[in-house]
Amino acid sequence: MERSSSRNGPDRAPIAISAQGLRKRYRLGELHSLRQTIGRLTRRDHMVESRSFEALAGVNLDVYRGDALGIVGSNGSGKSTMLQILAGTTLPTGGLMEIHGRVIPLLAVATGFHGELTGRENVRLFAASLRVPLEATEARMDALTAFAELENHMDTPIKRYSSGMLARLSFAIAMQFPGDIYVFDEVLAVVDGEFEARCLAEIRRLYSEGRTVVFVSHKLDQVAEVCNRVLWLEHGKVRQAGPSNDVLAAYAQEQADHLMQ
Amino acid sequence: MTRAELPEYEAVDRPGAPALESATVRWARPVKRRLRVSDLWHDIPVVRVLAARDFKVKYKQSILGPLWLVFQPLALLAGFLIAFRGIADVQSASVPYVVFALVGLAAWSFFQASMTIGTASMVSNIMLVRFTPCPRLAFPIAALIASLPAFAVTILAAFVAAGVTENLSPRAVLLPFGLIWLFLLTAGLVGITASFTVRFRDTLSAMPFLLQVGLFLAPVGYPLSDLGSSARALVDLNPLTGLIEAWRWMMLSDYHPSFEPIGISLALTAALAVVGWLVFSRIETTMADEI
Repeated sequence: MERSSSRNGPDRAPIAISAQGLRKRYRLGELHSLRQTIGRLTRRDHMVESRSFEALAGVNLDVYRGDALGIVGSNGSGKSTMLQILAGTTLPTGGLMEIHGRVIPLLAVATGFHGELTGRENVRLFAASLRVPLEATEARMDALTAFAELENHMDTPIKRYSSGMLARLSFAIAMQFPGDIYVFDEVLAVVDGEFEARCLAEIRRLYSEGRTVVFVSHKLDQVAEVCNRVLWLEHGKVRQAGPSNDVLAAYAQEQADHLMQ
Repeated sequence: MTRAELPEYEAVDRPGAPALESATVRWARPVKRRLRVSDLWHDIPVVRVLAARDFKVKYKQSILGPLWLVFQPLALLAGFLIAFRGIADVQSASVPYVVFALVGLAAWSFFQASMTIGTASMVSNIMLVRFTPCPRLAFPIAALIASLPAFAVTILAAFVAAGVTENLSPRAVLLPFGLIWLFLLTAGLVGITASFTVRFRDTLSAMPFLLQVGLFLAPVGYPLSDLGSSARALVDLNPLTGLIEAWRWMMLSDYHPSFEPIGISLALTAALAVVGWLVFSRIETTMADEI
């Protein structure tokens, strides 16, 4: 197999993310229960034995540095699984994803926090877990606080934050740290209009700086606004990938056809 | 697989990408283990934040706050004095009972706190495990670090008591090795129980009960010489038994340890540390999917 890094000619941007035959299989249902245990022990386990679901069924994809890649597809098409593998929270069950540089993921708004830690401590924890150097973290703290509009709340445990405050802190963390690949999973749905516009502007800033962005959304206008490339996933496979206008048009067409039926 | 199988996806014609913030390349692929021993020190900054949190949370919204650190071993010591000394009248050889018991309690207080926080560490950080790449190894390690203050208070009391009663041995300089020993033993066990808890929450129900039993199956409050032969055989197999014996030998000038349990404990510690690492690193790759 040809090494992906050798694909880069002198006129090409370097590879940021390369997926080859990427697969992810999940077991369905409760993992363990007394019923299953007894079933297994008494060998009457035919009914409960591992049903599984292939969230990704062989995805090939190259993302170049400086791309803003949108991923579209219906529920269960494998979008989130792609991002989880990219973020490193889980591993594929087949194939390979090669990731160059530091990934800053925002997989879910207001959840990747610890409630007992203050806003500031959560920021430090997040940064430390991405191995962002401590000086870089402290250097960005003020800008981050200002972006989240939490100047008076950074030393309050985040269990006392409102959901809006948590969302703003999530976005601030996900966009203000120095990274190479910024990952957003269906996250703009939860914030209100004004802040949503600021987040979109911020994501466009990352893109214009030449950083790589991977963006999942059900809102096609957002994808069109942010992304230059789009990947359309269907049942864990690549249906189409290419310039955003082409793919989004095809995807919108199919959705419209689907509604007509 | 060939290049042709990749979907049509031309390179962008946008020159001037900035230099990489982090020149690392990560390969996400199906592997049984991805943890390296070097992650133990790479994760120190994360452990620091988590351990400070674990410690603070324990005494937040509490009136006595960190005073509980002093109160808990004192209460246990009082209980020991009544039960072992007052009722069972155990003899702690040539060492005053309070000094004898405090050394055992120091090791025990660390072990108990670590096992309690550590076993639940993955589950109590479930959101971080599911939605962030926060290194999973940092959670149980942080639980151990957060248990050090409880240990420090008790061991300090043991030093003072031994010093005042003129029982302190110069061998006490060896105690750092004793602490590393205790750390490895506890880390191995926590690695196993924390991984287990990701799949089966049974450990959370079992742990308080197991720890209670464990306290009486280790010579924390009584000397080994007081045991009958069958009870002695059982207690000798407890990895904490040999460790506590060794600690008393290090700290107390006129203490004669039994060497059998010390050997057993050293062997079990090495085995548990290795098994704990293997189990944890194996489960670690799928924690976000299974927790």
